[in-house]
Amino acid sequence: MQRIVRVPQDGVPVTEARDVAADPSMGRKFSIKTDVVVVGSGAGGSVVAYEMAKAGKSVLVLESGKYYPSAEFTEHLGDTIHEVYRDQAGQANSTADVLFIEGNCVGGSTVIGACVMHRLNPSVWQDWADNHGLKDLAPDKIAPYTKIVDRWLNVHVNEAHEINATAHKVIQGCERMGFSWRPVERNVKKCALTGHCLAGCPSDRKMSALVTHLPWAAAYGARLFADTHVTRVLERGGRAVGVEAVIRDPKTGSIVSDLRVDAEVVVLAAGAIHTPLIMQRSQLADRSGRIGNGMAVQPFVQVLSTFKEPVYGFRGALTGVQVDEFQDTDGYFFISGLAEPEQLMAVGEQKAGDAHIEFMKSYNRMAGINAFSLDEGSGSVVWEGGLTDGRKVIKWNPSRKEFKDIVRTTALASRILFSAGAERVWLPTFEKMHADSVFDLDDKLRSVDYGINGLYTFRMNTFSPHGSARMGVDPYESVVSPDGEMHDVSGLYVADASLFPTPVAAGPQWATQVFAKYVSDRILARGSNHFLG
Amino acid sequence: MTTRNQAADAVAPLAQVSRRRFVKTALWGTGAVLALAGGSFAILRRSPLDDVSKPASLVHLSAPEYHLFNRAIEVLLPIDDGGLTPVDQVPVMANIDHTMGLVDPAVREDIRIGLALFDNAAVVAGLHGRRFVDLDRVDAIAYFDSWSRGNVLQKALQTVVKKFVYVSYWRDPATWPPVEFDGPVSDRWGIAYLGNAPLPDESTSDTASGEARA
Repeated sequence: MQRIVRVPQDGVPVTEARDVAADPSMGRKFSIKTDVVVVGSGAGGSVVAYEMAKAGKSVLVLESGKYYPSAEFTEHLGDTIHEVYRDQAGQANSTADVLFIEGNCVGGSTVIGACVMHRLNPSVWQDWADNHGLKDLAPDKIAPYTKIVDRWLNVHVNEAHEINATAHKVIQGCERMGFSWRPVERNVKKCALTGHCLAGCPSDRKMSALVTHLPWAAAYGARLFADTHVTRVLERGGRAVGVEAVIRDPKTGSIVSDLRVDAEVVVLAAGAIHTPLIMQRSQLADRSGRIGNGMAVQPFVQVLSTFKEPVYGFRGALTGVQVDEFQDTDGYFFISGLAEPEQLMAVGEQKAGDAHIEFMKSYNRMAGINAFSLDEGSGSVVWEGGLTDGRKVIKWNPSRKEFKDIVRTTALASRILFSAGAERVWLPTFEKMHADSVFDLDDKLRSVDYGINGLYTFRMNTFSPHGSARMGVDPYESVVSPDGEMHDVSGLYVADASLFPTPVAAGPQWATQVFAKYVSDRILARGSNHFLG
Repeated sequence: MTTRNQAADAVAPLAQVSRRRFVKTALWGTGAVLALAGGSFAILRRSPLDDVSKPASLVHLSAPEYHLFNRAIEVLLPIDDGGLTPVDQVPVMANIDHTMGLVDPAVREDIRIGLALFDNAAVVAGLHGRRFVDLDRVDAIAYFDSWSRGNVLQKALQTVVKKFVYVSYWRDPATWPPVEFDGPVSDRWGIAYLGNAPLPDESTSDTASGEARA
């Protein structure tokens, strides 16, 4: 008998805290039994939910963020950011000089990302196969998964109309410098060129999980709870048997209900910061000692410039081109982009008085580059305190080498902009600083001293933490197996950027979705070990 | 109106820093040094503004904090040539007050200590001999600039003050037309809503399962 599967026209069926509060049958404490519980509804979790549900498994997705449907997006970053960003965009390292920007809503970071689907170079997959024993990640074996991600999410190379004025300045600079560049690949369908990606896409053109895998999973019967914070994984005899969670009112933070989920398979896809935190809270066995350690952050700085003529660099598709000249050799990459005024202030505008006014008066003559560098993967996340009253601590500050890389990426981005004709480059330092020529630039950058752990030197951000529960063959060196299953806990899988085996020089969404599809297949292939039916 | 994100973002530097024992020690340590240098930390130097009350509409800011931000707005946003939206046409102070109200109470207390330090430290830092609220524009700008080159705590504190002020001003749509930022456009442009993507076509042969297991 053929099953009729219908995808909702818009929105996703979601059970929210207010629904639980209004349902007397759920009460202050209730339990659910399911085949698969997926923790997190972003790039990884949504894919697993769809694949499991499609395979006939009962699936429950638990998302700590709230449900914020596209129809409510206003394109006003100030109005929407607190609804969908982790810690209202204030998530930072322990010294508060590096912002860790992350989605916290149904759909996760796919909802607020700039649509960049940055594919990994085949040499990275080959390295993982050859040097890390992960044979099934070899390019020829992973290729079918990459094709699916590309096709299903409409990943395409930006067309001419998707290259905005900021991007054209970057192209101009690269051509004069002799640097290789290419259009960014994005997961967007008929982009409306509003430039408001960071505030969510109100017309649902961005192929986020909110409009793809989550409604697809729901069509196959998957259920989704928002406002639901998983406190720990339940384990019995070395086997994951479910999770415990609390459902909180997103407005007050008060607990609406306690939830216990009994499941055959638990999939953690809460992102590279929160997946290891859940593992730590669960006090899971870990021979490697690497849960939460070895995290790469891929820091980036925002280098802005002012041109003589109006550029209107904030109009059009937010991300146009990337500079790949240094990607394979140095681990640097650069993406064009200029965000709205409030975002420029939020990342730490340092000028004061007339200097600030002069800066903002030149806003329509600005172009910008986000300069990313490959770090050494020495970051960590630690859960300190009790299950419900503890707190996360994110540790990462640049080493001297990483600091030098940030200086160099800043210098390269600045040179590209000067070559495109910029009159002034505004340096992304905590000290108020700009350069009016390449010669001036070098002097200025030399004056930025590493000091103590590079604290409060450059205004750094990251969208891309990964590798905090790495995949590998050796349980003494890695957290999860080549199947994505935790070495020391049967039935507990990871399907997010936590499992990246090494730091990579690419935005993580594309690879995360590839890995999630790959892990899904491994779960189903090992179904007889996990599922009764 | 300022939203919770501005609160979290504006205070992120101090909120996080203040949780660090060593920096907290540094905060108090600096205060102690100042106290030794200029008398009692809390009253390093009286200001004529100490006798001026705050507007009744402000709920979360204390009178000294109101005076500090008032001075910070004046010196950070000297919009007097008609080029940008005048500060008095944007509810900057109300936004700051609202933002302060969204901050976690424990963090808010740390911020209050930090703001008091920022205000009082001007008496000795740079040998101004006056609190920040009494500095003239040139000295106030110099104070901000010197703290942007200062130690970790100074950088964090001046960043907090700037973020409160700048985010509270630039988040208001009234500030956008002079810099030609378009703001929300989808409704204005009549952008059609596309809704959810249809289920993917899995009938083609390049399914991962098929090829990966082949």
